[in-house]
Amino acid sequence: MPAAASQRPAAPARPAPQDPPPPAVFLGVRHHSPACARLVAHVIRTLRPAFVLVEGPADMNDRLDELLLGHQLPVAVFSHYRDEQRVATSWTPLCDYSPEWIALREGRASGAEVRFVDLPAWHPALADRTDRCANRYADAEARYAEATRRLCERLGVDSADALWDGLFEVTEPDTDPEELRARLDAYFDLVRGDAEADAGDRAREAYMASWVRAALARAGDRPVLVVTGGFHQPALRALSAQPGAAAAPADWPAVPEPPSGALGGSFLVPYSFRQLDAFAGYQSGMPSPGYYQRLWETGPTAAGQGLLRAVTERLRARGIPLSTADLIAARSLSEGLARLRGHPYETRVDVLDGLAGALISDDLDRPLPWTTRGVLGAGTHPVVVEMVAACTGEAVGRLHPDTPLPPLVHDVAAHLARLGLADATAPVTLDLTKDGDLARSRTLHRLRVLGVPGFTRVSGPADGADPVFTEVWEPRPAAAAREAALIEAGAYGARLDEAAAALLGERVRAAGPEVGTLAGLLFDTVLCGAGPLCSELLETLAARVGRVGDLGPLGEALAAALGLWRHDRVFGVARDRLLGAVVGGAADRVFWLAEGLHGAPGADLAALRALASARDALRHAPDLLSTTPETAAEAAAAIGCELSQICKSLIFAADGVPVLVLMDGASRVDVERVRAELGAGKVTRADAAVVRETTGYAIGGVPPFGHRTRTRVLADRSLLAHDVVWAAAGTPYTVFPVEPKELVAHAGATLVDVREQHG
Amino acid sequence: MTATLEETGEEALQRPPAEVRHADELAALRAADDDPRPPGWQLSLRAARRFIVGDERAGVSRKFVGNVSLVERALVTLATNRGLMLVGEPGTAKSLLSELIAAAVSGSSALTVQGGAATTEDQIKYSWNYALLVSEGPSARSLVPAPMLRGMAEGRIVRFEEITRCPLEVQDCLLSLLSDRVITIPELDGSQGLVFARQGFNVIATANTRDRGVNEMSAALKRRFNFETVLPIADFDTELGLVEAEAAALLRQSGVEPPPRRDVLEVLVGTFRELRGTAAQGERMSTVMSTAEAVSVAHAVGVRAWFLRGEPGSAADVVACLAGTAAKDSPEDLARLRRFLAQEAPRRSGPQWQALHEARHLLAD
Repeated sequence: MPAAASQRPAAPARPAPQDPPPPAVFLGVRHHSPACARLVAHVIRTLRPAFVLVEGPADMNDRLDELLLGHQLPVAVFSHYRDEQRVATSWTPLCDYSPEWIALREGRASGAEVRFVDLPAWHPALADRTDRCANRYADAEARYAEATRRLCERLGVDSADALWDGLFEVTEPDTDPEELRARLDAYFDLVRGDAEADAGDRAREAYMASWVRAALARAGDRPVLVVTGGFHQPALRALSAQPGAAAAPADWPAVPEPPSGALGGSFLVPYSFRQLDAFAGYQSGMPSPGYYQRLWETGPTAAGQGLLRAVTERLRARGIPLSTADLIAARSLSEGLARLRGHPYETRVDVLDGLAGALISDDLDRPLPWTTRGVLGAGTHPVVVEMVAACTGEAVGRLHPDTPLPPLVHDVAAHLARLGLADATAPVTLDLTKDGDLARSRTLHRLRVLGVPGFTRVSGPADGADPVFTEVWEPRPAAAAREAALIEAGAYGARLDEAAAALLGERVRAAGPEVGTLAGLLFDTVLCGAGPLCSELLETLAARVGRVGDLGPLGEALAAALGLWRHDRVFGVARDRLLGAVVGGAADRVFWLAEGLHGAPGADLAALRALASARDALRHAPDLLSTTPETAAEAAAAIGCELSQICKSLIFAADGVPVLVLMDGASRVDVERVRAELGAGKVTRADAAVVRETTGYAIGGVPPFGHRTRTRVLADRSLLAHDVVWAAAGTPYTVFPVEPKELVAHAGATLVDVREQHG
Repeated sequence: MTATLEETGEEALQRPPAEVRHADELAALRAADDDPRPPGWQLSLRAARRFIVGDERAGVSRKFVGNVSLVERALVTLATNRGLMLVGEPGTAKSLLSELIAAAVSGSSALTVQGGAATTEDQIKYSWNYALLVSEGPSARSLVPAPMLRGMAEGRIVRFEEITRCPLEVQDCLLSLLSDRVITIPELDGSQGLVFARQGFNVIATANTRDRGVNEMSAALKRRFNFETVLPIADFDTELGLVEAEAAALLRQSGVEPPPRRDVLEVLVGTFRELRGTAAQGERMSTVMSTAEAVSVAHAVGVRAWFLRGEPGSAADVVACLAGTAAKDSPEDLARLRRFLAQEAPRRSGPQWQALHEARHLLAD
């Protein structure tokens, strides 16, 4: 609120001397609520408290000046902790309209002593929460869920956020702040109702109350203001008023120290609206920071108009036509909705509803996201996606140059120096089978994932099945850009491995049901050596592959997972149990979906490729699948091709000399027959590196001809049984149709009978 | 085309229209309504919303289960100069919603055009009484007004059901009518030949996403409507409650004594929701697994069990009745249902799910 400082009214009348000393004034707020922030500023200006106590990490108290250096918000206090049992990271985000931020700023400006009074982020009371990357200011929302749901039902509102906007954010212009405060108190009493405070809450509330008592003892007859989340306010009020409170020691409570042997600390990091927004992240805070920033700066009317304008610009930039008539319709719809809902101005939801009603001329697959809570699903209407993005806003915080650097910057510098990468000027070649080089590769991949410039990978394995064991990285001197990027990345963790894992984790959660994206993330995760995340990701993948509706991305995920499961020795995930679950689930799903396909003339390449991957899974990992070969064959028939119509190109080593065998997809090669055919001493399957060397292609994508080197080629006669067969075209994701005779001619193959014979 | 209700008498009707079914509530809301009404409306927007989404304290029942904001957007749209297009899967209560809105806004839901392949412009605008036309020539007396003309002349809401099933050229006859708000009758002279829409006239169209879909509508017509998607009920308990209430009412009407068993209904609704494929794309049944369909299966289950064995319906009855619903005309759907009963049902906990699984052989080929 830019005008606040200049418009401070004259000091209000102090209480008459005969009044008892004023008790603490408790102000319950909703985190990231502009209305609450405005109320905090009002109360500080009228009350002129001696102490302002704020729900925030008490270990930051010595460094409050650091917060007030003059950053461009949003920023966050990032806290990390590590001991032998657990690793915890958490954020305390602050934006221009955060009540906690206003309490800090306005409190200081009015000459009050400001203190953060909550336990440090690493404390078990906060760390025991179920979500692993906790946002300090997201705790209460979940607890209120049940109470707000009932309230919404009674008041005929769809979501808690719409309810909140109507009750508090967009109020009559002449609403008395005291009335708003009474309404807030009533609201929090009502919604706390049946929410159970857990042990962590009780510990935090007891700790905060000890600060309140100390402040009261110090303040004498001067007022004390306590700004906390509304959830804690009733309990704090009771705890602070306990008998004997007045006689409490005037010393501030001790700030708990991490146990010896544990590492921990808090740093300021830049934050962004995208990270703050409930729609994008899985943790709910107050959604739509971009909108509320405008509301805070320019008031509800301008915020509504700003949102309308932002959506219009976004849609036009994306080439979605938008006529003036549409905009007029949207405006009149949102005005009408605001009147019907009894809002003096259009709220966020009124504007969004108006836009949705007027601009979307299609049927939707899912409810409008602001009527529910949570992440946007796949297939959300593009207009809706742009509307939500416009609400989120794009603001990114920037720290003042004097801010101490986050620990990640030091960690990376130390890492690069230790691995001898700090001053690299020439391209670095890494042999992934060597431990030292693998560590280097992981470090560089983590930096790549975090978007830190400095090294670019020139070559290396493209996916899990790619049998390439060397990587080449080229250094790009960009010291300044690197440090800026590292400071930004510092928001994800104190150590490079943690930060990369946290970012990948965020991407996994934001990826939605797109399995193709997840498969890509899986490989990144493997490259970064993020073990625990790998498990989480695999669990997510395993849960999702069973729900994919499209064979294309499913096939890609299956190919990637199967490749890793079968061949990966370098990164140590071969035969991993969870990976196996992904392979099994994906393959089963391919067969399930394939059975549902029917009637399409010709064959769909993506579907065929998926089926081929599933066939490989059935062949190499039958125990992982619940599908049997019989059902698989039926499924293949549905795709418009028989399993045996998929031509496999296999490389064998006959006494060390590579030989290509072309085999139909339903049969296996009988190695003994190959040996007899060639008159060789010993025939084995060639390993991945040999395949790559001989053909120039990775296993899974080897075509039947067009290889790097000339080899002897055997084609099994069973291929001739078909009019057309499908062969890989150089990548695991493409196949092409060819007549068998033509195939044999092109490949220069000798026709033989080398398939395993049954019975 | 539309019978006058006073003549028919309420008692004899199988399903009286919304304004008759809820006449008391409408009268009470009208009496207590002191909010501003849009011109031509029988109720204010707020009272209309209360009528549809219910208001316990005012003794108004909830008639439409779904997002409140959808109802709000629909009502505000009708108060503007755009029509309202309700789209969604069959059985998502689009027609019910349009009926309720028309009853609340105009006091009558009777002005209805039922769209279909054979719908002609005559059935939308007007036609002639040919005996009078031949004897008297075109006159106001020989004119037979269709719902659109009546709606415009009387300032009422007109419902256009299943608009996408009409031929495109017939749909497009709404264009000038919705933008200019006037129907010209070239056969009549002077002022009689122009019928202007009075305040209160607007159109609620419904379109079914399983039919030809709204993509084939002309862009010009799309522009004249605000679209609202009516989605299947998101919440399990809400849907279960609705199916239970509706099925119980139907069973009473059919003379079945015991109400449906809740645990059996849970399995039924659970099966419907799973087959509806709310979570997974590309897996949808080609048959519609709507709430309305669940109600009719629950009804059939109760009737079958009571009249064949004299007891409330069981999970086995559900399987027997599902065959006719889930697999109406598609062997793939039947296969999917069979697969669900064989693989999914046993994974769920509860005796009724097990019973459902064990009764899977009742699913005839």
